[in-house]
Amino acid sequence: METLLTLATLTAAVRLAVPVAMAALGELVSERAGVLNLGLEGMMLSGGLAGYLVTLESGSPWIGILGGLAVGAFCGAVFAVLVVVVQANQIVTGLAFTLLALSATTYLYERSYAIGQSPPRIPRLSMPPLVVLVLVALVVVWFVLNRTTAGLVLGAAGEAPEAVDALGYRVDRVRFAATVAGGALGGLAGAMLVCGPLGLFVQNVTAGRGWVALALVVFARWRPVPCVLGALLFGFCDAAQLRLQGTATAVPYEVFLALPYLVTLVALMVRARDSRTPRALAVPFVRGGT
Amino acid sequence: MTATVDRVEDAAVRPPDDDRRHRLVAAIGVPVAALVVALVAGGILMGVEGVAPMSVYGEVLRGVFVLDGGLRDTAVVATPLLLLGLGLAVAYRARVFTIGAEGQYIVGAVAATGWATAEGVRGWPGPVLVLTSLMVAVAAGACWAAVTAGLNARFGASVVITSLLLNYVAAALLAWAVRVGIRDPGAFTPQSRPIGAAGLPEVPGPAIHLGFVLALAAVPLAGVLLARSRFGYRVEVLGAGKEVLGAGEARPARVTLAVLAVCGALAGLAGYVEVAGVTERVTPDFATGYGYTAIIVALLGRLRPTGVLIAAFALAALSTGFDAAERGYEIPSSTAGVVQALVVVFFVAGDALAHRMGR
Repeated sequence: METLLTLATLTAAVRLAVPVAMAALGELVSERAGVLNLGLEGMMLSGGLAGYLVTLESGSPWIGILGGLAVGAFCGAVFAVLVVVVQANQIVTGLAFTLLALSATTYLYERSYAIGQSPPRIPRLSMPPLVVLVLVALVVVWFVLNRTTAGLVLGAAGEAPEAVDALGYRVDRVRFAATVAGGALGGLAGAMLVCGPLGLFVQNVTAGRGWVALALVVFARWRPVPCVLGALLFGFCDAAQLRLQGTATAVPYEVFLALPYLVTLVALMVRARDSRTPRALAVPFVRGGT
Repeated sequence: MTATVDRVEDAAVRPPDDDRRHRLVAAIGVPVAALVVALVAGGILMGVEGVAPMSVYGEVLRGVFVLDGGLRDTAVVATPLLLLGLGLAVAYRARVFTIGAEGQYIVGAVAATGWATAEGVRGWPGPVLVLTSLMVAVAAGACWAAVTAGLNARFGASVVITSLLLNYVAAALLAWAVRVGIRDPGAFTPQSRPIGAAGLPEVPGPAIHLGFVLALAAVPLAGVLLARSRFGYRVEVLGAGKEVLGAGEARPARVTLAVLAVCGALAGLAGYVEVAGVTERVTPDFATGYGYTAIIVALLGRLRPTGVLIAAFALAALSTGFDAAERGYEIPSSTAGVVQALVVVFFVAGDALAHRMGR
């Protein structure tokens, strides 16, 4: 165990936690407004590909990250049109969105380079600015949700949409905005993964991190700070798995491959039954009752 | 059958028997329209790429219906999709939104292969081996799914999230199984021993493995189970609302467990059938995402066994056909996947729109 608590492992843990933390913050925003975004994994993938391609074109990973943010916001808007405006089933739509993003990003990535060539790598961002970015996002999300009227209305839209409506706010607009913001953070998270530690895109590059982020929001009881702490815990498991893969241990390394997911499952056991769940989560709002 | 089923399914949204013809049109029209629009969108995509879409689609059709073995390949791909899709259809009818079919499929395949290639079991006569492996796969898939049910019942954990997380655990299990657990000691690369006598024989005539017949037989079975049995009734009631079921005689957690177990059993069976009929052994890249495609199959098939049958064949034909078309045209190998995913997105959107217009 002491071999795990080295500086290298802890650095790796932070590196692996950063995109998950950002995605979890995005999901938190939309879920607090009452929109369960199961398309998060797909939005991370889309943002990741956008980050890769924009960086390739512009040469600057910072512009790439902005590209990821923009594409994430666009994905959020598409998703919001489907679930807030058309009021399609949020669970089914989210799944469909992730499936589409998985094939679409693979398709676009495959045709972004000539067959037979190895895909080019992109310049990478160092970790410190990305960590700062997560902390900034954390402070902003926390501040907006807890200290502003907008945040209060957003939270109320997920808790008691009728009350929000009665006060004269438009529930659909609040939810739309929250979903776009959440998608933007999800896209940003994907771009941070690709333009940060990896420096390249591969098929299904997020490998389920969006789903982990979704679970983290539950684990964190819909609060921003525990979201980021939970992401660090996930990052540590992931780092441990990578570290132990190379060394001969009594425990097969596949255990550590499964560990982040098992830890999340255990976390769900501890925290799932909770009254903090937004009461109107995944419930469409129709003016004048259903 | 459809009449009863329709009524319960839509009971929450609209009064029973309200304009049945309108609903029938929506039930069949929306999936068909989604497929057509997705094909058109795919065509535009290919047009942008500078490939003539009509000739690609011609080649897709030729690949399925004309080329030697096209129909057979389609049926082979449709087999796991059908079994997985039926299980998911049962679960989604009860509004238990599991996405764990992929993991249950893997676990079923690994367990059955492990059993059939185990020391002492290996030498058993073929039919016994087939039957026992099948039972092991079904049990393994059902148990894997039961974990999700247990977490949901005991801790209130979301079925969507736990079932998906378990897929990644199953993937790790597969990696370990082929590297260590059930590895073929004679092989250089990680893979299991061949399943040997537990393999499914080919049906004389179309030269397709017996699993296809099993999958076809599962369609009417699922239909009867849903429409005529107490289980089917409870599935519908659970789908209409937990409170309704709770007010009646059955416990929602029990029914959720049963629903997930059925889903897992069918997924496990699909895993065994794939090994025993197609791959013959388990390799690290055994899982190819059938469990996720089957979600599309279940939705497009309107969660009805016959619909699932048609959808499984349609999606299988898309992938077989595009495989053939890729040999003749320069299109990325992921084109079929994009078209399939577009189908489901258009379907979801169209369905919601149809509901709104019907209100």
